[in-house]
Amino acid sequence: MSAALAAPPPQIGQSLTRVEGPAKVKGQALYAAEFRPDRMAYGALIQSPIAHGRLTSLDLAAAKAAPGVIDILTRENASRFPSYPSDVTKPGSPAENRVPLQDDELFWVGQHLGVIIAESLDQLQQALSLVRVSCAPNEPVLRMDLPAAQQSATKPEKWVGQEKLQVSLGDVAGALASVPPERKLEVTYRTPIENHNPIEPYCTMAEWLARDRLVIHEATRGIKQLQKIVAHAFQLPPQSVDIVSPYVGGAFGSKGFQWSHTLLTAAAARLVRRPVRLTFMRTQMFDSAGQRAETEQKFTIAAEKNGKLIALRHATTTHCSPVADYSEPCGNMSRMLYACPNIEVSHELVRLNLTTPCPMRAPGEAPGVFALECALDEMAHQLKIDPVRFRLTNYAERDDFEKKPWSSKRLRECYTQGAEKFGWAKRNPQPGSVSAPNGCRIGSGMATAVYPAKRQPAAAHAILSADGQLIVQSATHSLGTGTYTTMSQLAANALGLPLENVRFELGDSRFPDAPVNGGSWLTVSVGSAVLNACEALKEKVTELTGNWPNDFTSLREVLARNGQKQIEADGKSEPDREAREKFSFQSFGALFVEVEVDSLGQVRVTRATGVYDVGRILNPRLARSQVCGAVIFGIGMALMEATVPDPKTGRIVNANLAEYHLPTQADIPQFDIHFLDQPDPHMPVNGARGIGEIGIVGTPAAVANAVFHATGKRVRELPITPDKLI
Amino acid sequence: MNPFTYARATDAQAAINGVAANPRAKFLGGGTNLVDLMKMGVEQPAQLVDINRLPLTRVEELPNNGGVRIGALVRNSDLAENDLIKSRYPLLSEALLSGASPQLRNLATTGGNLLQRTRCYYFYDPAFPMCNKRAPGSGCGALEGYNRIHAILGQSEQCIATHPSDMCVALAALEAVVRVQGPQGERTIAFEDFHRLPGDTPNVETSLQPNELIMAVDLPPLRFAQRSHYLKVRDRASYAFALVSVAAALEMDGGTIKTARLALGGVAHKPWRARKAEQALAGKSPNEQSFRAAAETELANAKGYKYNAFKIELARRAIIQALSTVAKMA
Repeated sequence: MSAALAAPPPQIGQSLTRVEGPAKVKGQALYAAEFRPDRMAYGALIQSPIAHGRLTSLDLAAAKAAPGVIDILTRENASRFPSYPSDVTKPGSPAENRVPLQDDELFWVGQHLGVIIAESLDQLQQALSLVRVSCAPNEPVLRMDLPAAQQSATKPEKWVGQEKLQVSLGDVAGALASVPPERKLEVTYRTPIENHNPIEPYCTMAEWLARDRLVIHEATRGIKQLQKIVAHAFQLPPQSVDIVSPYVGGAFGSKGFQWSHTLLTAAAARLVRRPVRLTFMRTQMFDSAGQRAETEQKFTIAAEKNGKLIALRHATTTHCSPVADYSEPCGNMSRMLYACPNIEVSHELVRLNLTTPCPMRAPGEAPGVFALECALDEMAHQLKIDPVRFRLTNYAERDDFEKKPWSSKRLRECYTQGAEKFGWAKRNPQPGSVSAPNGCRIGSGMATAVYPAKRQPAAAHAILSADGQLIVQSATHSLGTGTYTTMSQLAANALGLPLENVRFELGDSRFPDAPVNGGSWLTVSVGSAVLNACEALKEKVTELTGNWPNDFTSLREVLARNGQKQIEADGKSEPDREAREKFSFQSFGALFVEVEVDSLGQVRVTRATGVYDVGRILNPRLARSQVCGAVIFGIGMALMEATVPDPKTGRIVNANLAEYHLPTQADIPQFDIHFLDQPDPHMPVNGARGIGEIGIVGTPAAVANAVFHATGKRVRELPITPDKLI
Repeated sequence: MNPFTYARATDAQAAINGVAANPRAKFLGGGTNLVDLMKMGVEQPAQLVDINRLPLTRVEELPNNGGVRIGALVRNSDLAENDLIKSRYPLLSEALLSGASPQLRNLATTGGNLLQRTRCYYFYDPAFPMCNKRAPGSGCGALEGYNRIHAILGQSEQCIATHPSDMCVALAALEAVVRVQGPQGERTIAFEDFHRLPGDTPNVETSLQPNELIMAVDLPPLRFAQRSHYLKVRDRASYAFALVSVAAALEMDGGTIKTARLALGGVAHKPWRARKAEQALAGKSPNEQSFRAAAETELANAKGYKYNAFKIELARRAIIQALSTVAKMA
């Protein structure tokens, strides 16, 4: 049995490859759309063709008569869903507040009106083309600057019931009045609607095992939340609904929250008494289940002669749909990233006849820090201060908004190391001063990266067999970023087992509670529960055998005597309330990029140097991969991504991956990514903090600032496409 | 998508007869555009006649004159890497490699590339009610819609769509000849006459008859074809349609331009042969001033809309830059 322990346990900080990699390569890792029970039928959504008005009739005769059509779910034959549970629709919550098939009101193009169910996909597509939707249209409100939009404006108090959205510290107006124009800046930044577009679209496969027993295979990062939503919708106890999601093909903020397709698919399955699978077409990724809202951000800042910020005002206007209440919290980082005695942050929310927004990677931080870090760059240029020096001059030694010290902050080291590795000192501050041999202008720019280090309650269950095989379970998710690997690594390390002895299981609502995947909190939250379960297991084994075995002979003997096959233990973890009250938890970083801009306005990012203060790094290989991916995401935001609704009808014109541009391999720069790798003393899992989103934050600003340095042209509206530079 | 039948043709005449017999039949080549449009419901053929087994896959020298004949089924990736093409018409190779993605180029055919349909949003999505190209008489959704990718030259009030091909821009500059076969036999179409401007019938995009099959594209000999360049301006480094593109070639006589060839992509309903610019360049010194003058001449009548007016300046710069690049070639 000692053979089981032949390999040494993995270390914290070891670069492991993904444990699920071989399964993925061999096609053995099953995603939601790959589960196919007997008699499964296919479902497709019937959608609203108009952005505002009333549904007057659904002519289904031709579709019903089409070959292979089993039935069609509409408001006429569906049971009424009760309203969503109140805790997912509290003020400021993401996603839709209205259950589907309520009435005839139409609020956006693509709103779900029913589900066609057919024997095969091709029959489904044909039937869908035969549905005739008749509407009584009203004028849609499609732009934030329209009077009708302004009339709907509200000032939301909080984001997702947590973060304050209207904040005033000191006296901004008074401070601004005291500063001459040359030390003031008043500008507006804009970011467009953006869509998550993971390569795996949304998918639900719903199967009723009995009248009161439902299994849903879903591409989701919120198993437990979805279980609650679905159970509530069908008036079942939560344990009667299983949500299964062992692999998710990317989410980026999508695939959480309440969207109508899951309920509609389950209702369709009940209607036809067969399992039904409904997969979004790519176009539906743009109109059916979330996107990042458009933002307009008015920025006013002022500095004293010595370069110290004296006033900062960040006023955001953003939109949501008529059936939601979610606002993109752009100003939250402006509350505390720099030391400034007078700060005003405000958010205004208007209603448009567009699909419902929700978080998308670094919600608020990504567009908000774009504005903040561009404004800092503009001010530094105006004051003729080096941008890095300007940030050091305004370094926040504590969180003045929360009025707390940082749990730990090494941003100064990020700036200095990043500047050195990038070669910032050699930079000529004069815009347009550097040309490449190919005639391109070369520019460099930098920005601060910041992201909250959050934690959520989580639980895990550990099962140790007599021969030293460990299974750890938690109802968490694998979005492709390394959950299986990191959790296995933590468990194996904690118990001194070889990695091969450990299997981490996730993606099943029957497992112990885990939070929605988001907020870059998975590793710390679930990891902490996993460590606690392992610790509890260790205690149990030690009680039985007198010590934690370095082989499992004694354990086997003890278990055999007791007639047991295995030992099980539970672990829970909660955010450390005391530490949370005492400290402000943030991760930090500094990103430096170089761009080439040609005379035709084409921008290419050639290199990106990032230094990040994100606590202890558990697995450098996966961490680097995460940050590179996030910086690429930020490059997409900076240079190419924009979802464009038709100005008249509100229908998305570029709802496909040929015309909604994401970075290709050819758009990816040379990366130089570093981690300070210093533990946060107030974080549980070896002092690690989350790393999922921080790489995006700051990237769009660093690119925009580099474009300014290359060309002398300040583009304040993303994406920076050739038309804005010529 | 509607139900359709599928037949595989074994010879060209059978394929042509098959399509001639059914007004709703279409030839299927690489399918990279047609199948896409069928999924969107834009194309609704009742029958597909698969021509992929026809022996039209060769790239060969034309006897006597040094030209090259390209079979209609030569794949874009094979054509781009073909030695005859790379040595005699590098412009074509460059244009091909700037288009689409490797996966698409592996399937897309020479003949099919000529028949690519526009990426105009209002054409591509039948849920937009207005498109004179898709539903003649319904109006043009792009005119007052989001028209960033639309035409600045040769458009009409009926249609402001652009032709999306890169390859065809090079073929226009190279004065290719399209060989087609129909029920009445073979005929040739000069490349400039192959694609049409929209006028009042934007639904009629080419001079090809519905039952005619493209058999080959001939490239006439061109002494100065090596002195050429394809410049493509796009929103990302790869896999994006041209905002503007330029195919340029220059024949020099000492220090002056003897002949210029210039064609533009992304600006019109067809690959835009810039004849006015070519005439303006003949006999001039190859410098920025003459390039600029030629660009101005060509774009004098260009017209922009709400979102695409930038293309006029972009085209001007792209023409100057492409010509400058060619002028610097040994």
